[in-house]
Amino acid sequence: MSLPPATPSVPSPSSPLDAAVTDAADEVHTARTLADSSPPTDEEILTVENLTVEFPTDDGLVKAVRGVDYTLHAREVLGIVGESGSGKSVSSMAVMGLLPKNARVRGSIRYRGQDLLTLRPREQRSLRGRKIAMVFQDPMTSLNPVRSVGDQLAEAVLAHQLVPRKKALERAREMLELVGIPQAGKRLRAYPHEFSGGMRQRVMIAMAIINDPDIIIADEPTTALDVTVQAQILEKLLEVKDTVNAAILLITHDLGVIAGMAHRTLVMYAGKPVEIGATDQVFYEPRMPYTAGLLGSIPSLEGERDARLRPIVGTPPSLIHLPPGCPFSPRCPLASDICREDEPAVTDTGDGHHAACHHSDKLAEAADATAFFKEGR
Amino acid sequence: MTQNPPASAPEKGPAKDPAKDPATAGARPPGAADAAQGMAVVARSQGQLVRRRFLRHRGALAGMLLLFFVVALAVTSIGAGPLPGWWDKDPTTTGNVVGNGDPTLSVLPDLLGGGGVHLGEHPFGQDNIGRDYFALTMRGTQVSLLIAIIVGLVATLVGTVIGAAAGYFRGWIEAVLMRVTDVVIAIPTLLIAGLIGVIIADKGVVLFALFLGLVAWTQIARLVRGEVLSLREKEFVEAARSVGTSSRRIIFKHILPNTVGIIIVAATLTIASAVLLESALSFVGLGVQPPDTSLGRLITEYRSALTVRPWLFYWPGLFIVAIALSVNFIGDGLRDAFDPRQTRVRD
Amino acid sequence: MLAFIVRRLFVSIWVFLAASVVIFFLAVNVRDPLSEARQLPGPAQESAMAEITERMHLDEPTIVRYFLWLADVLTGDLGVNRQGQDVNAMLEGAFTATLQLVTGATVLAIVVGITIGVVSALRQYTALDQTVTFVAFICFSLPVFWIGTLLKQFLALDFNDWLADPTISPVFIGGIALLTGMACASIILGDRRTRLISFAASAAAMATLLAVLSATEWFTDPGLGPFVVALSAAAGAIGFTTLVRGLEWQRPLQAALMTAGVGVVAMFALDPVLDDPDVLTIGGLAVLTAAVSAGIGWYWGGDLYRQAAIPSAVLTGLFTGAVIFTDRMLMNFDNYSASVGGRPISTVGAETPNYEGTFWESGLDSFGHLALPTLALVLLSLASYTRYTRASMLEVMNQDYVRTARAKGLSERAVVTRHVLRNGLIPITTLVAYDIGAILGGAVVTEQVFGWSAMGSLLFTGIEQGDPMPIMAFFLVTGGAVVVFNMLADIAYAFVDPRIRLS
Repeated sequence: MSLPPATPSVPSPSSPLDAAVTDAADEVHTARTLADSSPPTDEEILTVENLTVEFPTDDGLVKAVRGVDYTLHAREVLGIVGESGSGKSVSSMAVMGLLPKNARVRGSIRYRGQDLLTLRPREQRSLRGRKIAMVFQDPMTSLNPVRSVGDQLAEAVLAHQLVPRKKALERAREMLELVGIPQAGKRLRAYPHEFSGGMRQRVMIAMAIINDPDIIIADEPTTALDVTVQAQILEKLLEVKDTVNAAILLITHDLGVIAGMAHRTLVMYAGKPVEIGATDQVFYEPRMPYTAGLLGSIPSLEGERDARLRPIVGTPPSLIHLPPGCPFSPRCPLASDICREDEPAVTDTGDGHHAACHHSDKLAEAADATAFFKEGR
Repeated sequence: MTQNPPASAPEKGPAKDPAKDPATAGARPPGAADAAQGMAVVARSQGQLVRRRFLRHRGALAGMLLLFFVVALAVTSIGAGPLPGWWDKDPTTTGNVVGNGDPTLSVLPDLLGGGGVHLGEHPFGQDNIGRDYFALTMRGTQVSLLIAIIVGLVATLVGTVIGAAAGYFRGWIEAVLMRVTDVVIAIPTLLIAGLIGVIIADKGVVLFALFLGLVAWTQIARLVRGEVLSLREKEFVEAARSVGTSSRRIIFKHILPNTVGIIIVAATLTIASAVLLESALSFVGLGVQPPDTSLGRLITEYRSALTVRPWLFYWPGLFIVAIALSVNFIGDGLRDAFDPRQTRVRD
Repeated sequence: MLAFIVRRLFVSIWVFLAASVVIFFLAVNVRDPLSEARQLPGPAQESAMAEITERMHLDEPTIVRYFLWLADVLTGDLGVNRQGQDVNAMLEGAFTATLQLVTGATVLAIVVGITIGVVSALRQYTALDQTVTFVAFICFSLPVFWIGTLLKQFLALDFNDWLADPTISPVFIGGIALLTGMACASIILGDRRTRLISFAASAAAMATLLAVLSATEWFTDPGLGPFVVALSAAAGAIGFTTLVRGLEWQRPLQAALMTAGVGVVAMFALDPVLDDPDVLTIGGLAVLTAAVSAGIGWYWGGDLYRQAAIPSAVLTGLFTGAVIFTDRMLMNFDNYSASVGGRPISTVGAETPNYEGTFWESGLDSFGHLALPTLALVLLSLASYTRYTRASMLEVMNQDYVRTARAKGLSERAVVTRHVLRNGLIPITTLVAYDIGAILGGAVVTEQVFGWSAMGSLLFTGIEQGDPMPIMAFFLVTGGAVVVFNMLADIAYAFVDPRIRLS
């Protein structure tokens, strides 16, 4: 395997070592945006088709994912947005093969033509962490508290490559430098609790890219972090994506995260995709009321000063007893009789933009799609 | 105490088993946070949840039934205090030893080649001076249960007060209380309980039980203190304090109600180990003294009879095991039921 | 860290002193030490009372007597008992016996308990797990004196009777084979077919083994023989290597197998030494074994595999040594059995009085006397280790960092050994330390059941005679153990958990 050259991106500040200070201070250079990053190619590296995941429970069968299709191209950033319970995390855990044993998974997940769901556990494991890596939500709990950071990073190398431990540690040091951790060599011996949240998430990113993967799945990578650190982590993700030429599956409930980060965006609701398209299309021309509702509930600095938020009323449906028809219909201002009887299929609304709504044309006609939702009090 | 399994948790150790009941655990696959949230639609009160989880714990349910049976049998058979019982023999009357004193209890129906289901004249047999062993065993069960319950109550009360005060007030109060706890812990339970047992030997079992309770509270105190320490940092306590609520009110209205779960569990397990402690003390002659009797004393008295009249040895032992086992199972069920981690949903 | 230890030590000393005051005041009031002397007739009464009063300082206030005791203790003198016997000497004998009793039991309970707990957690909700849970609850609920007496009756007496004619009944063979099969089937993961096969294979193997042992009357003159020793060593090599690093690579396995080979060769080479060694020789051999094994692992592992090869080789080496040791013991069994009248499992005391024999024979004598009380003690404490380990493991298995470890592509074995086990056992260290502290004081009941003259006798005679000196000696050791091990637990916890170590 060829390791990419590790380029230290940040000159290490000599002192202070205090992680919180460096968190804020080390990204003084110009912000990196999606436009600077290398563009996606046409090569399909991950194809998910009709993926369903169910969990048997006492109260009934929880249908966590009810048929998800998407394609990830090489070097592409695909954002997956949805509320808790929309199935976005569960579907990405299915890609990693990390679902609990009692999960029932159907459909196909093809990585470069190989169906991951039919692979033997050993083959699946050899892809995990090497070709498909993951950055988890909470860096505070995702690192083993009683083992040094260097140890945990080297372990990821040693799981897939036959190299002496020293080499693996050297690789770990390079990766720490790459993600902008000062005095990387020294920090290898430190324990996770000696790092701040942002620094730990950098360690997680280093761990994800240490084997030069094709796909990085980032599951809410910034949710647990301070707002000031969030942007730095996202930028770092974009930067390392180019270093290792990986594609990113960026899972979040926060539309703000997606905006500057993803080439395309997939919106999920109640275990199903409801809208997919280029990020700009989804943001500026939503064709599904749920997306419009999400957009309306973001506070904005622009526009009228006294503009109120337009929240989506109600709660997501139970995944055990889904309402008939469109699962969003009980909360949808546009819902009509057909919505309550017939669940809409995902259809093409033009220019590679797809949505699952009986009334997407109404949204297309409206000047401001968010206006369908009432203002909050 | 020499053996009180779950209650002897080191403070830092995991005191709770996150998912023991197959039924409830299946409902929360660790990675399926999204899924679990989707079903959190039926609102249930805390009490309902606890009851529901407890009733689903088969071991706890079986323990409840067994304990109820043992208690009912012990109390109604020979009666308690002024209440008469339905069993016509009493534990002290001696008499003729009928046929070596063999037990007349039979549980195998005729169909299976047994002697039919009946109690007979002396269901548990007789001892060497012709006393009815069923009545004696029931008497011993009553005393052992009484001691265990008193120990449980006293230990829980003392442990909770000391633990809560130490955890809430910190500073010198905590230092003093925890040092006192350390001192009590440093003394082997059998040693201090034995010494006290001998000193108050002629004052009766109730006083003996009270004193046992006064040395058995340390685990509960440590447990409660740990819980209070973490609770007092919680936002709702902070909020109560910020509006000027008095310390007493915060402890009794805000903190203790939240520790009820672990206190009940610890109390249950203390009762289970108290049964064993009492019997061990009585066995080495430092516990219940004649003319009182208890299950442990009965075993000691008739230990040498194991080869000639084995039933004199078996029955009290079986009752000790039955009580301790059922109480332990109930404790386990309660722990599962109160464990908030079973409802916690990660997002 | 040093400040923490010093402070902890200081607190422990004060706690211990305070506890000793409490015990002393109770002990002097427990019974009238003069009661027997008062029964004596005439002038003998007066002189006896005067003598005891003088010896025990009964004319001084209790507080003065306490400080007299404390001053003596600080110089290492535990005083004399009511009869004037030296308590130091009494304590020495009693302590040795108790230590002998609890050491093996504790080690065994810890090792077996933690192992069962780990397996039970890894196989959560299987029949195995539920059986373990149920049995653990029964063990919690057993009164030690009751189960001890039953063990004496059924295990010792009946086993000794059986040894006279050691044939195993077919029903018994069938039962054991069935249980073995069920245990193996539930430990092995896989589909129904794999489990059925493992059930059948292990049950058949066990049945054959027992049938052969029974037919050849193996139990009258047991032993393993070089072939079985070699086979076990090889199996050990494969087993330990699998445990340490898995069998993907050749080198660690080769190192372990080499070690096993060296061990078997050494068995023959050392034959004269092993005929009647002493404890030091055995200890030296164990150290030598570990060193040689480590050398083999280091050399054959090379840069790439050293990390896996050294532990695999050392574990294999020690295991092979243990097998050879067992073989030697078994070879001496018929001699020993004959010398104690064919009743090798004893129910009373710590040793056969005036027994003389080789290292192996006196070893068997100790074993015969320790077997039952150890079993009783293990049954009781095994359960709590099992339950705690299981709970701790399950808790750790749900942690996010374990998911991270899986996401790295680590094998399930590596996830368990490097992340789950390591983290899950940290709280267990504390529990183990607390327990060791408490076990010295807790063993008195077991001692009584099995008629050991040990720490318990010190306490009971002290109480019987109203004599504080033996009681205080009992407290010094048992209470001291609690305090010391509680302190060690806190310090150990700080050492194994870096989060505490650094703060």
